[in-house]
This record gives sequence, structure tokens and C-alpha cells, in this order.
Amino acid sequence: MIYDWLFRLTGSETAAAIIQSLLPLFLFILPFALFAVLLERKVSAHMQDRLGPMRVGYHGILQTVADIIKLVQKEDIVAKDNDRLFFDLSPVIVFTGSYAAFAVIPFSGIFLGSNIDLGLIYIVAVTGLVVAGILMGGWASNNKYSLLGAMRAAAQIISYEIPTLLIILVVIMVSGTLNLYTLSEWQTSYFWNWLILGGPVFGIEKLLFIPLMMMSALIIFTSTLAEVNRTPFDIPEAESELVSGYHTEYSGMKFAMFFLAEYANMFAVAAIVSALFFGGFQSPFGYLGDLFNLPWLIPIEQFFWFTVKGIFFVFVQMWLRWTLPRFRVDQLMTFCWKYLIPFAFVILIIVGLITVLV
Amino acid sequence: MTYFLKFWQGLGTILIGMKVTFRHLFIPAVTIQYPSVKPELPERERNRLYVNMDDCIGCLQCARACPVDCIEIETVKSIPGEDLGKTSNGKKKALWVTKFDIDIAKCCYCQLCVFPCPTECIYMTDVYEFSEYERENLIFDFVTLTPDERQEKKKNYEEFLIKKEAEKAEAARKKAEEAAQKKPENNKEEDKLNDKDDKPKEQE
Amino acid sequence: MTTYDIIFYLFAAVTLLSAFFVVTNRNIVHSAFYLLFTFFGVAGIYVMLGADFVAIVQLIVYVGGILILLLFGVMLTNKITNIEIKTDSINALPASIVLGLFTGALGAAVLNTNWKVVESPAPEATTTALGNLLINEYALIFELLGIVLLIAMIGAASMARK
Repeated sequence: MIYDWLFRLTGSETAAAIIQSLLPLFLFILPFALFAVLLERKVSAHMQDRLGPMRVGYHGILQTVADIIKLVQKEDIVAKDNDRLFFDLSPVIVFTGSYAAFAVIPFSGIFLGSNIDLGLIYIVAVTGLVVAGILMGGWASNNKYSLLGAMRAAAQIISYEIPTLLIILVVIMVSGTLNLYTLSEWQTSYFWNWLILGGPVFGIEKLLFIPLMMMSALIIFTSTLAEVNRTPFDIPEAESELVSGYHTEYSGMKFAMFFLAEYANMFAVAAIVSALFFGGFQSPFGYLGDLFNLPWLIPIEQFFWFTVKGIFFVFVQMWLRWTLPRFRVDQLMTFCWKYLIPFAFVILIIVGLITVLV
Repeated sequence: MTYFLKFWQGLGTILIGMKVTFRHLFIPAVTIQYPSVKPELPERERNRLYVNMDDCIGCLQCARACPVDCIEIETVKSIPGEDLGKTSNGKKKALWVTKFDIDIAKCCYCQLCVFPCPTECIYMTDVYEFSEYERENLIFDFVTLTPDERQEKKKNYEEFLIKKEAEKAEAARKKAEEAAQKKPENNKEEDKLNDKDDKPKEQE
Repeated sequence: MTTYDIIFYLFAAVTLLSAFFVVTNRNIVHSAFYLLFTFFGVAGIYVMLGADFVAIVQLIVYVGGILILLLFGVMLTNKITNIEIKTDSINALPASIVLGLFTGALGAAVLNTNWKVVESPAPEATTTALGNLLINEYALIFELLGIVLLIAMIGAASMARK
């Protein structure tokens, strides 16, 4: 584990803990956000037969760096009637909420913030902080659009938490653990052992699980997509009706924090989906490190596969964004309550029966 | 039953849509990177006007054709002995053009000035980027002479006129003297005739 | 003072301060937002006491559920843009008398009790044990509680439809 290594390096528990808790931010989220913003713009551009940013660096590679520099320089505008304290606190809380989720996400076999037993439920819990932060920001902005966006975001996130939790329950029933690290270890490094293909247990239940798990993966991907407010579930920030929802009033670094939180959330969600159903940090075809007897290579490979899977699901999110139009509010609720939740429930019951009977 | 049908239809149509967008991911972009890559303009594009002063004979036809009066021309007659050269299609130039301003801000790009030109010296170019911060900068001066030269040409012509006047006066005086010996009253009428001769010449 | 103590007092301070603000603030929405920090601090203290599952449930139920419901309730039942969302303190004198008595009694109890001091055991994961207890030993009570909650929900829904 990386904590032990840091502990030996610094000689102090506190320093090791602080460094370790900052590692995902500087090693992963910031570079990922830089990359993902560029990827988003490039993917959207090419899907619309455009080129996207081309000016800054080769094919616009440095575009997001330039954007960040611009955001840092920007004036921090606080309107007279904004609720100053909560207006300032809200981006911090939203970012804390989405960053806290990274504490339990296993980046690789050795790079894991906290190996707690409650990993999955913990992620669901800290997501609640994001909802509170969004509501706080929307209310403190003292702006109708912001408030409407915040209310919509909160309503949407809490209703889509239900199918997410139901599917997490399904996974818990099949795997018997809430710990994301154990879950990833459990789905071994061969893709036919991943949960999407029925898990590592061979037998009649594996065959029965395959269609159910595919449905579950679809449902959890959809509902987590709604939880991070991405198109087609972006009615909280629907720019054509609400300017940009709860962060309309924000500028400069506070806006950048919302932005960073959004991209961190996107990756967190992609990581959860990949950890639940696609083997987490496990390679699909075994490890080169095992093949050539180089044990130090395995964590690096695991990190690579984790990143690849995460970025693939982030790409699918972007892909969906440029494919589907936005839902109406009633369609959104219909979709959640009439389709996702019953399906998740039926899957839960069937999987429960299978695990008990087989 | 329709419930499940709807679900499957939704899923299927989403996949169809995703196929379409994924295909478009690999279709080459239609973007033209404008300032570095310029689009090819059509054959008869109408952009900024240009006047080739070597060929201009100062006939004012373009200024007269212009519907918005954005062309201003002033000409000065050459004095005998000055050689202005010939235009590219063999016409002899007889006038110094001391002012040829086109206010491109007013120009409506109708191309009506281009057709009457006898020497085809005013034409449309493919330059379309000429924005300026000051409106005055959009008045283009096409005269090739330096300001000093223009003054000089005007002065030359005035001096020539004065000289001519003086010569005429001299001649008239001589005539008058001669005539005075016969009839001393034709002086004024001859002056008027001289004026009438001058005007049409200036407008050529 | 170890790191553990520092973190504990940090959470305690967050809880107490925000709870104080919840009570004294005259703007209901502000109070509700301060409540977020109170819940968070309490969850932190639960973690410090080795009750990780309770802490997470605290976060899910109170921050993710009750607080949001509360905010929605406040925001949807008032004119949000109005400044009218304010509360008043009434009966200050009797309240302070009762509070003083209660504090005195509690303080006396705390000071006079002969506390047993035990070396705190290393925190263990409680999820499996809790799950076993809930589903195996106390299954009936657990299910009954679920039914009670369901009845409450049905009642609320039927009241809302009228």
C-alpha cells in the first residue's frame, strides 16, 4: 500500500496521511480534468464534424491550460444580494463532496486512499454533500435561475439515488462485499470473471447472471449519469432555459471549483461503474508483470487499466451527450420511477432468489 | 406489454443514435481554419476595389457610375511638353490625376464602376480583410504622385494658365494695339471666347 | 495531545458551533444549512468512536435525506425570494431557567459519576456484524420497523392526495 511507503518515507503518520489524501487530487483529478475538458470539446467537435480548439498548442492541446489561467485571473464577482457566507462555502462543499468519493476508489492494487469496508455506501453518503452544496449555492446566489437549477438538481439526484442503491444492493448480494478494493480483487484479472459476465463463480448461476448483470450495469450507468447532471439528464443546468443552473452567478475560481467538481464526479461515476461491473483496476487479459515475473509492473498496469476504463466510460458519457437531447422534467421522473426503479427491483429480487437457491 | 416494447424501442433507438454520432466522429471536419487557411472565393467575387493608376486617364466615368458617390477624382491638365505616357491599351494620357479617393466604407460592392472604365484600370480584388479602427482610414488614396508632386502639377498648370493668360493678354494687347490703329473695341469679346474654349477641355 | 484528539476536538467544535448557529440564527434557511455541518460533525464523531456504519448512515439519512427534505420544505412553503423566512425567539426567560437546570443536572452527573477508563480498542469494521444481527437475530423487529416506515409513507401519500 502506498500509505506504508509514504510512512516509511516521511516517518510521520500525519504527514503520510495528508500526502496520501492529496495524491489523487494532484496526481489524478487535476490532470484528468485538464484532459477531460479537452476531450469533451474535441469529441463534441468531431461528432459535429467540426475541429474544436486548434489554436493553443498542437491541435489545441494546451487549450484547457489557457482556460485555467484565464479563470484564475478573472475577477471574483459577488453580487450585492448574494448570501456571502454560503455563496463562498457552496463550491467548497460541492468539491469536497465529489473529492471525498475518491478516498475509497482503488486506483490500483497499491494506490487506494482508504481501504474501508463501507466503500460503496460511503460514496453514496458523500454524494449527499454534493446535493446540499448545490442547494446552498443555488439559494445563496439569490437568483431565480440558480435556485430553480439547484432545486431540480437536488430532486434529480435524490430520486436517481434509489436505482443506484438498488443496483449496489444487487452487487453486494452477488459479491458479498461493500469494499471496492475487495470487489475489484474478487473480479479477477480475466474479463470473463468480471461481474458484467456473471462474476468469477462458475456454474449455472453464472449463465443466469449474465443478462441480469448487463441490465444492472445499464441501469447503474444511466442513474449515475443522472446523478452527475450530464446530458440527457442536464435539466438542472439546461443552458437554454436556466442560463447554467446553480452556478450561473459564479465566476473565477469558484466557478472553476464547480467545474472541477463536475469532472471529478464524472470520473468518480465512471470509476464506480467500472469497479462494480468491469473489474475495477483489473486487466482484462492477465498481467504482463505476471508473465515476465516483474512484480513491480503489476500496480502500474492496474493503474493503466483503471484509467483506461474510467476514461472509456467518461467518453461514453460524452458520446451520449452529443447523441441524446435533454429530457423534460416529467420524462425524467417517469424514466426514474416507472422504468429504472421497477427494473432494478425485479433484478434485485431475481438475483436474491438465485443466490439463495443455487 | 407496451411497457416492455417501449423500453426496448428506447434502448434500440439510443443505440442507433449512438451509431450515427460515432460514425460522425470519423468523418473529416468541414471546418476551414480561416485566418491560416482561406476559403477559395468564387470567380466573380466582389471585394475591395483597386485602381491601377498607370492606366487611369482621369475620365471620371467610374465616379459618375457610382451609386453611392464613394469615388472622388480631381484632375489637372498637363502642360505641353510633359509626357504622361500611354495606357496599356494604347490610349494617350492627358491629365494628371491629383486626387483619386475611394471611401470603401461607403462602397456597396456593386461593381458598377468597373464596367464603364475605358482602360479597365479599376477592378475588384480578392482582398476582403481591411477592417480599421478609424473610419478615415477606410478612405483609400490611389494616386501614385506624392503630395508635393500634386501641388507641383497644380502649380505648373496654374502657372501655365497664367503664362498663357499673359501670352493671350500680350497677344490681345498686340492685337488691340494693332486693332487700335483700326478699331479699338473688340477686346472684351475675345476674352469670353477664350473662357468657352477652356471649359470643355478640362472635362475630358 | 495526539492527532486523534485534535481531529476529535475539531469535529466536536464543528458540531457545537454549527448547532449554536442553528439555534440562534433567525433565518430558517441559514439554520438548515448550519444543520448540515452539525450532522457532518456528528458523523465524524461516530467515526472517531469506531461506529463507521452508523456514521455513514447518519450521512445518508440526515444529510442526503432529511436535510434536503427540510430545505425543500422551507423553500417550497415560503416565498423564497422574500426575507420573510425568519423565526423569533419566544419565552426566553422560562427557556433559560429550564436550560440552566438541565445543564446543572447534566454537569453534576458528569462530574460525580465514577467513569471507567478503558483503553480504546482498535476500530473494527462493524458492517458484517451489524448485518448479521439485523438480518439473522433481529429480523422480525427489522422487518416490523420497515413496515412501520412503509405505513408512514403510505399515510403521507394518502394525505398529500387529498
